[in-house]
Amino acid sequence: MTHRETLFYSLTVGFEILLCTLVYLRNLERRLPFFATHSTLLLIGTVGLALVYHHFGFQSTASFNAYWLTAGLIMVSRGFAVGELCRCELRAYRGIWALAWRVLTVLAVFFLGHAAVDAWGQTDRISIYGLTIERDFGISSIAILLAMLLIRNHYGLALGPLEKWVAVGMSFVCVFDVLNNTVLRDAFTEYLSFWFFTKYAPFWSEMKSDLVRANDWWNAIRTSAFVVSMSIWCYALRKPLPAPAKDPVLLPAEIYRELSPAVNLRLRAFNNRLLELLKP
Amino acid sequence: MSWLTIMIMSLALAFFGALLWLLRPRRRSSRAGQSPMDLKMESFLPRHYRYFPQVRQALSSFDEEYLDRVAPHDVAHSAHQERRAVARKFLAGLREDFSNLGRLARMVAALSPVVSSEQETERLILGLKFRLLYAWVWLRLSAGRAPLEQIEQLTGLVGRLATRMDQAMTAVSALSAPGLNSSLNT
Repeated sequence: MTHRETLFYSLTVGFEILLCTLVYLRNLERRLPFFATHSTLLLIGTVGLALVYHHFGFQSTASFNAYWLTAGLIMVSRGFAVGELCRCELRAYRGIWALAWRVLTVLAVFFLGHAAVDAWGQTDRISIYGLTIERDFGISSIAILLAMLLIRNHYGLALGPLEKWVAVGMSFVCVFDVLNNTVLRDAFTEYLSFWFFTKYAPFWSEMKSDLVRANDWWNAIRTSAFVVSMSIWCYALRKPLPAPAKDPVLLPAEIYRELSPAVNLRLRAFNNRLLELLKP
Repeated sequence: MSWLTIMIMSLALAFFGALLWLLRPRRRSSRAGQSPMDLKMESFLPRHYRYFPQVRQALSSFDEEYLDRVAPHDVAHSAHQERRAVARKFLAGLREDFSNLGRLARMVAALSPVVSSEQETERLILGLKFRLLYAWVWLRLSAGRAPLEQIEQLTGLVGRLATRMDQAMTAVSALSAPGLNSSLNT
């Protein structure tokens, strides 16, 4: 490993240990179990990968497969953590949650479907599939978090400070994943695409420096984003967590059934009057 | 770089920007974990529409015609402008009344165990339509091309809705738990 890679590795492991310590110290596994699992998986993944690299060598196929397997597991655990955050923030409002989960599921299916369609027909390489799926998973996570916040905002519900920082950290790492993966995927499917075909093997020696540089940049940006998002989460967990808010007292269903159509009727009438005002 | 790449990157950045904007600290928002109903009832109920009789008198067409007849041109012009400014402010007040009532309706929806997707979607669309129409009316009023008298009809609608909401909230107060009841009546 180069000095820079060693520095990034040490920083990542250091922050992951700190994050896991804070998560379990603050008993976050009871409040956000999937986020706690995600944090634990990050640490296990980094340490496990280091052991695999050490045992099989960095350039080995086993290391390559182990890397993508770990990346997949972390991506799935992040997806569960995003879903958990949405559920945790909206489930107390039963009526709204019943509406919201459908909207969020449609968004997730749309973006994952887009990833599958986009990866279809590309060069049959795990890197390109992985990058495409990771990219769309990132966009899907940001879109879902954004939709959840829009719904909360629309209904005038505030977000707790812990959940807010968890959402910021998640979206930060996701947005950098999307940007980073998009650029690298673009390079792999365009000017570095010859690397994936054996018939272009004579050109590989010329391309190798470009490929190494692209991979180095990708790793550096990805690790930096991870470190920043972990520091955001550590910041959120720096103090003991306040007791979770009590669930709101819900109103009888007939209040809404009676009130909502009446309000909509007036709104419609108000808009009609405004339209009349505009008529010449 | 392909168009798709640029589009995906822009989309991700736009989503992230919107997300940060939604997470920004707001002074007027309710505290975390606080029930939306803990907010004071008065902040939701319409206030501006009640002043319409006074505003109507100030904006009456008789006054306008009288000014045109007797006042010098520049004085009449300045008076017309001021009257339009008053009308705009009043229209903004009506908008505030209406959006407060909409907010209250959304809060009732948030606290309801069952919510109709049709009703919520319709209200969302009507709210968007209202914003567009309001901007249009505001522009026409500023240009002096909207009859001031017609604003009265709008105030009538807001007033009736306010009465209806008041009755509904009284029912909510009577039906709900004691803790909620006291916070509604503050």
